[in-house]
Amino acid sequence: MLILILVFAPFLFAALSYAAGKKKESLRDHLVLFFTMAELFAAVVLFVTVIRNGAAAGPGIGRVFTAGISFTTDGFRAVYALVTALMWAFTTWFSMEYFREERRGLNHYYAFVLMTLGATEGVMLSGDLMTTFLFFEILSLTSFTWVIHEETPGAVRAAYTYLFVAVIGGLVLFMGLVLLQSSLGTLSFGELKSALEASGEGQRGRILAAGVCILLGFGAKAGMFPVHIWLPKAHPVAPSPGSALLSGVLTKVGIYGILMTTLQVFAGDETFGWIVLILGTVTMFLGALLALFSVNLKRTLACSSMSQIGFILVGTGMMVLLTCAGDMEGAAETLGGAMLHMVNHSMLKLCLFCAAGVVVMNLHELELNKIRGFGRNKLLFKAAFFLGLVGISGVPLFNGYASKTLLHEGIVMGAEHLAGCAGILHAIEWIFLISGGCTFAYMLKLFICLFVEKNEDPEKQKRYDGMTACMNAGSSIVVFGTSLLFPVLGQKPVFGWLAGFMTGEREVLHHFRPLSWECISGGLISLGIGAFLYLVLIRRVLMKDGRYVNLWPEKLDLEDLLYRPLLTRWLPGAGGAVARFLDGFFTRPFFTRDLFSCLKGLARFLEGLFTLPLFTKWIPLCFAVIGRALETSVDAFVVLMRRTMVREKTAAGKKSAGAGQKLLRTTEEALSPVVGNFSFALMLSCIGIVVILGVLVLFIL
Amino acid sequence: MGNIVILGSILLPILGGVLLFGMNLQSDRARNWFCECVACVTTFFVWAAILTGPYEAVTVYSFARSFTVSFHVDGMSMMFAGMVSLMWPLVLLYAFEYMEHARHKNGFFGFFLMTYGVTLGIAFSASMTTLYVFFEMLTLVTIPLVSHYQDHESMYAGRIYAAYTIGGAAVALIAVVMTTMQGSSLFSFGGVDYRNVSAGLMQWIYLLGFFGFGVKAAVFPLYRWLPLASVAPTPVTALLHAVAVVNSGVFAIVRLTYYTYSPDALRGTWVQAVCLLTAAFTLTYEAVLGVRERHFKKRLAYSTVSNLSYMLFGILLMSPVGMTAGVAHMLFHGITKISLFMCAGAFMHSTGNSYIYEINGAGKRMPVTFALFTLNGFSLMGIPLFCGFVSKWNLFTAGASDGTWVGLTGMVCLAVGAFFCAIYTMSISIRAFFPFGGTDRYRTSTASDPGALMLAPILVFTAADLLFGLFPGPVMTFIGNIASGLI
Repeated sequence: MLILILVFAPFLFAALSYAAGKKKESLRDHLVLFFTMAELFAAVVLFVTVIRNGAAAGPGIGRVFTAGISFTTDGFRAVYALVTALMWAFTTWFSMEYFREERRGLNHYYAFVLMTLGATEGVMLSGDLMTTFLFFEILSLTSFTWVIHEETPGAVRAAYTYLFVAVIGGLVLFMGLVLLQSSLGTLSFGELKSALEASGEGQRGRILAAGVCILLGFGAKAGMFPVHIWLPKAHPVAPSPGSALLSGVLTKVGIYGILMTTLQVFAGDETFGWIVLILGTVTMFLGALLALFSVNLKRTLACSSMSQIGFILVGTGMMVLLTCAGDMEGAAETLGGAMLHMVNHSMLKLCLFCAAGVVVMNLHELELNKIRGFGRNKLLFKAAFFLGLVGISGVPLFNGYASKTLLHEGIVMGAEHLAGCAGILHAIEWIFLISGGCTFAYMLKLFICLFVEKNEDPEKQKRYDGMTACMNAGSSIVVFGTSLLFPVLGQKPVFGWLAGFMTGEREVLHHFRPLSWECISGGLISLGIGAFLYLVLIRRVLMKDGRYVNLWPEKLDLEDLLYRPLLTRWLPGAGGAVARFLDGFFTRPFFTRDLFSCLKGLARFLEGLFTLPLFTKWIPLCFAVIGRALETSVDAFVVLMRRTMVREKTAAGKKSAGAGQKLLRTTEEALSPVVGNFSFALMLSCIGIVVILGVLVLFIL
Repeated sequence: MGNIVILGSILLPILGGVLLFGMNLQSDRARNWFCECVACVTTFFVWAAILTGPYEAVTVYSFARSFTVSFHVDGMSMMFAGMVSLMWPLVLLYAFEYMEHARHKNGFFGFFLMTYGVTLGIAFSASMTTLYVFFEMLTLVTIPLVSHYQDHESMYAGRIYAAYTIGGAAVALIAVVMTTMQGSSLFSFGGVDYRNVSAGLMQWIYLLGFFGFGVKAAVFPLYRWLPLASVAPTPVTALLHAVAVVNSGVFAIVRLTYYTYSPDALRGTWVQAVCLLTAAFTLTYEAVLGVRERHFKKRLAYSTVSNLSYMLFGILLMSPVGMTAGVAHMLFHGITKISLFMCAGAFMHSTGNSYIYEINGAGKRMPVTFALFTLNGFSLMGIPLFCGFVSKWNLFTAGASDGTWVGLTGMVCLAVGAFFCAIYTMSISIRAFFPFGGTDRYRTSTASDPGALMLAPILVFTAADLLFGLFPGPVMTFIGNIASGLI
C-alpha cells in the first residue's frame, strides 16, 4: 500500500498543484513543497519498514498490460526510493528561492516535476522489467519539459537531443525486452534467474543481443558512451534544481536498469561483463577529460556526472568478471562499491548543482571567467562547496573515497584472478586512477575559481563581495545540510552498514580496511595525479593571460560529427535517394505513364482496328439495312392489308392521282396512326431484342 | 433473429442514405438528427448481432453452384463490425460541426451513411463472393466522398482513387473466382488446403489476391492513392481512410489468408516471404516518406500506410500470435489514428492552415486539441499506458518468436519504422507547444479549440486509447480466441 502511495500519489499531486497554480501561485508553491515533504516522509517509513522486515514483494496491480505491473522492495530499492524522495524534497525547497524572479511556465514545470517523481519511484520500486519500462518511458517524456523550460535556442536544441536520445533509447530497450521475453518467457526480476537456468545453450546469443539492447537503452538515460551526447548539453540549460535531479537521480534510473538486469541475467556472462567494463572505462575517462576542458560551471558538473557514471559502470563490469572468475566475495564487495558510489554521487550532485544554482540565481552567469571570485567572503557557501570537492575527489574519510576505493579494489582483484587479461585490467586500473585525478583537478579548478581567485574586473569583485546574503535559510539548509552528509557517509560503520543493507549481505565489507596503506596509497596516487594535472595542465595550458580558455576543439563533438548528420542528412539522404529512385523510375511512371500509356495504346489499337469502325460504321449500317428492309416490308404489308380490307378508299383514291403517287400517299395515310404511336416503336425494338436474343441463344448455347 | 439484425444493419444505412437524397432536407438540424438516428439504430442492430451471435452463414442468393451471397457473424465479423459501429455515430457528430459551412451536405451525408452499410456488409459477408461485391460497392460509394470539394485536386484524387481501387479489385476478382471454384465456398477458419489441388498455381493466385485486396490496404507499389485522398473532408479521411476502407483491405486479407487458404499450408512458402517482405518494406519506407511530408494530413496518411503494413506484417506471419497482434493493431491503430486525424481536422478547421510549419505555436491557442494529439501521438509511437504499445509489443514478440529470417528482418524494419514514427509525430507536438524563438505564428491569432461536437468524439477515443492501453486483457483474450479459431 505504501509503495502504491509512493508511486501514484505524485500524479495526483501534479493535478492538484496544477489546479492550485491556476488560482494562486503562492498556494501552489506551498502545496508542491508540502507534497514532496509528504513523499519524503512516506519514503522514510518505507525505509524503516524494510530495515525491520527485510526485502518483500510489494503489491501488484493485476490486469494492467494483461500481465499486471508489480512492485517489490529490498534494501537497495528502499535506499533509492529514499534518495529519490530526498532529492525531490530538497530541490523543491531550493526551487522556492531559485524561481523567485523567473516565474514563466512554472505551473507546467511543477506538474511535470511531480509526475517525474512518481515515475522515478515507480522505476526504483519496480518488480519486473515491464513495470520498469513503463515508468522509464513516462519519466523520459515528463523530464523533457525541464530541459526545454527556458525555451532559449540552446535549450530547444538540447531538448531535441535529449528527446531523441530518450526515444531511440526507449525503442532499443523495447527491442531488448522483447528479445528477452521471447527467449526467457518472463520479465519478472524474481523469475529471470531460474528462467535463465532453464533455458538452453542455443538461446545464449539471443540473450546476449537482448542484453546489449537493454544496456544501450538504459545507458542512454545513464549517459553512457556512446549515447552520452545529450548529457553535457541538457544539464547546463535546465534550471539548476532540474539539473540536480537529472544528474542525481535520472541518470541513476538508467544505472538501476543496467544493474538489475546484470544481477539477474548477465552475472555469469563474461562477454557482457567486458562490454560493460570497456564502455564504462571510456565513459569514465571521456567525461573526466571533457570536464577538465570545460569553462562553464554547470557543464563541468555535467561532464563530471558522466565520468562518475563511468566509475559505477566499471564497478558493474568488474562485478560480472569477478563472478565469472568465481570470486563471489570480491564480486559482492565491488557491487557494494558501485551501489555506494551511486548514493554518494546522487548526494554530491544535489549539493553541487544547487550550489551552481546559487551562482545562477545571483549572477545569471555560468562562464567561469565571469563568475570568478563570487564566493570569496561567503563562508557557508564555501564550506559546502569544499565538502563537495573533497567528497567527490576521494579524499580519505569522505564518502567518495570509500566507494572509489572499493571499485579500485575490484579492478585489482580482477587483475589477480584473470591472469590472461591482467594487462588490460592494469591499463584500466591506471585509467581509473587518472580519471580520479581528473576529478580532483577539475573540482579544484572550480573551487579556486569561485572561492580563491579575484575577478579580473575589480568593479565586479566589489559587487560580488557585497552579495553576502546570496541564499536564504531554506537554500542554505539544502546546500550546506547536504554537504554535512559527506563526512558522515565516509565513516566505515556508516557505509559498511549501508553497503550491507543494499546488497543484502550484512558482512559484505567485513574484510575491507579503508585506512590500510594499500587503500590509502591508491587514493593518494589519484590525488597526486590530480594535483599535478591542476598545476601543469590547467594552470599552464588551459589558462591564457589569467583567463580560463576552452581548448576543446569545437568540432570534436560526437553529436555534430556523427549522430546529427546521420539522422538529419545521411539516413534521410539515403532514404530520399531510394524514395526518389523508386518514385521516379518505378512507381509513378509505372502507374501514370507506362501502365496507362500501354493501356491507352492498346485501347487505341483496338479502337482503330476494330471497335470504332464497328460501332461507327458496320453496326449502324447493318441496322440501317435491316431497318430499311423491315420498314419497306411492313409498309408493303400494311398497304397490302389496306388494299384487301378497305376497298372503297383505295377505289376513291384511284380516281384522283397517278399510280405511283397514289401508292405513296396511301401508305402515309395508312401508317400515320401507327407510326405516330410510340408503342409501335417500342414493339419493334422488343421484336428486335427478342430476335437478337434468339440468335444468341441458338448459336452460343 | 440473425437474419433480421444482419440484413437490417446492412440495409438500414443504405436505405437511409438513399432516403436522404430523396428528401433533400434543407435544415441542418433535421438532417443531423436523421443521420444520427439512422447511425445509432444501425449500431444498435450491429451490437444486437454481436451480443446474440455468433450466427451461422445465411445464404441469400447463389449462382453457379458455389458462388453465394451469404452473411454470417463470427469472431472477425464481431471485431470489425463492433469497431466500426462504435466509430460511425461519433464521427458523424464531428462531421456535423466540421461540415457546417460546406456545400452539398445532403450528398455528403447520404454517401457517408451508405458507406456505413457497405462496410458492415464487408464485415458480415460469409463468402469471398459477397466480400468482393461489397468491396466494389465500397469503392463506388466513397469516390464521391473523396471528390466532395470538387476542386481540381479533389477530382484528381478521386480519379486516382478510382483507378487504383477498381484495378485492384479486378485483380482480386481472379483470386475470388479461383478460390471459390477450387472448393472454398463459405469462410471457415483454417480454410482449404490447396496443396491437394494445385499448389503452385494457388500460390500465384494468393499473390494476386494479396495485391488485389492490398490496394485498399495500401501495400507498397499501390499506396499512392491514400496520401492523395487526404484532400477529402476530415471526417472522411479520419473514418474511411484511417479505419473503415483501409481496414477492409486488411480484413479481406485476413479472410483470404486464414479463412480461405490454410495458413499452415502457406507458411514457409516463397509467397509468404514475398508478401511479408513487401509489408516490412512498406512500413519502413512509408514512415520515411511521412517524415519527409510537409502537409499535416498527408503526413498522417503516410503514417496510416505504414501502420497498415504493421498489421499485414502480423497477419502474414501466419501464426496465431501473429494474427492476434495484427488484428489487435487493426483495432488499436484505428482508435489512435481516427483521433489524430480529427485533431488535425480541428486545427485545419479553426486556423485554415494545413501545413506542418504552420503549426508552430498553435498549441498555445488550442491546448486541448494538441494535448489530445500528443497523447494519441504517444500511442502511435508505442509508449506504454496507451493501446498502441500493447499491439506493438505483441507485433514485436510475434516477430521475435517466429524464428525465421523473414520474421527477424521484419522486426528490425518495425524498429526502424517505429523510430521514424516517433520523429514525425513528436515534431508536430513540439512545434505546437514549443515554437522556436520567433516562429510562433499564433501570437495574435484568435484561433481556439473547436466546439464540443468536435472535441467530444476525440475525447472519447482518447479515453478508449488509455482504457485499452491499461486493460488490454479482455480484448486481447477475445482476439486470441479469434486467432485460435474458437469463435
